[in-house]
Amino acid sequence: MSDLVKMGLILTVVGGVATGFMAATEEFTRDRIAEAKRRQLQEALGKVLPEGFDNQPAQDVVKLTDARLNRSGKPVNFYVARKGGVPLGSAFTVTAPDGYSGNIDVLVGVSQDGVISRIEIVAHAETPGLGDKMVKTDWPKSFEGKSLGNPVKWGVKKDGGTFDQFAGATITPRAVVAAVHRGLEVFAERRGEILAPSTTSGGEATAVSGGPGQGGEKP
Amino acid sequence: MSELASKKVVLDGLWYNNGVLVQMLGMCPTLAVSTNAENGIGMGLATTGVLLGSNVIVSVIRKVIPQDVRIPAYIIVIAAFVTIVDLLMNAFFLELHKTLGIFIPLIVVNCIILGRAEAFASKNGVFHAMLDGISTGVGFTLALVVLGSVREILGAGQWWGMDVMGASFHPAISMILPPGAFIALGFIMAGTKGINLRIEAAAAAKAKESPAAPAGAEPSPA
Repeated sequence: MSDLVKMGLILTVVGGVATGFMAATEEFTRDRIAEAKRRQLQEALGKVLPEGFDNQPAQDVVKLTDARLNRSGKPVNFYVARKGGVPLGSAFTVTAPDGYSGNIDVLVGVSQDGVISRIEIVAHAETPGLGDKMVKTDWPKSFEGKSLGNPVKWGVKKDGGTFDQFAGATITPRAVVAAVHRGLEVFAERRGEILAPSTTSGGEATAVSGGPGQGGEKP
Repeated sequence: MSELASKKVVLDGLWYNNGVLVQMLGMCPTLAVSTNAENGIGMGLATTGVLLGSNVIVSVIRKVIPQDVRIPAYIIVIAAFVTIVDLLMNAFFLELHKTLGIFIPLIVVNCIILGRAEAFASKNGVFHAMLDGISTGVGFTLALVVLGSVREILGAGQWWGMDVMGASFHPAISMILPPGAFIALGFIMAGTKGINLRIEAAAAAKAKESPAAPAGAEPSPA
């Protein structure tokens, strides 16, 4: 019995000390991890959004839920880029559920009139050497300048569309093309909501006269 | 312990008792992340960090831990170090952390680590436990880098992300896929075994020539 108690005590002490060290490390790295994530988001947004914005898109967010954006039902952040309060465009993540292996997350940047400025594949688990050519080549560039009506037929070349597929991998590009197209549809339908003046700037009048009102952007 | 013993600890960890190539432990991370050389070194160094930490702590607490609960105690120590390494990598090496993803938490169940804790650190002093942790970790890293390099070169025509095989080279995609991991690892293991057999044969021949030489002397640098 006393042996049992001793063993329990020793395990408790070992667990307690280990937990202490983990907590200390967590404390030490917490800010840095948050900072790294924030910087990563900012970098990604800077890449895909139309150039020349002067607000903080990472903080200018509209949340929308739409089954076409992802199947998980989670709200998607639409980051809005503005210059002097006038919306330039938006960036949002659309998830393709039908890749070759797992979900493909695509960050799509569009101008305010729905023309793609750039896309970035943010997360995927496609086959190395086949499907992952979509990130290792210039393929995402082929989306630049495209919009809902241009091209008329969205799809990979094999399906009669305009986007290249890769040798040995059609499923991946097909999934990405379809997902980006769905994203554009959502953007077109709810453009008004997304590009509405940010809540704190309070209507058109201030959006024009307010000028580059940096102060008003933060929620 | 003498200098000779330290040397044996280091050489065993690096080569003669290499975790992957000789003991065939830790196959899951080995096969899964070795699609290129860079992943190999990242995974290897993360594992080395955990091995070093867990070996030292296990050695320090070896006399106060009762036999019956040693395994759970070691697992707690290992899990704590894995969590710490995971957080540190997330904070300082975000890109690498993203590529290795799920395999970092899985270091907890890498048999090499519990194996060294149980077979070595719990029976030896702190200094040797530390040496063993480092050399086993570096041995693991070397195996992963070699395997990753072979797969990256044959499977993608690249090495450390640079094109090395020229435009006319057609990469064998299967080398990057799971079967390529098994095939490449098989050849590397066979090569290791071959080299070790030669070293043994040379040592045996040497021992025959001069019976006065102490057995188990340094193997000739092959």
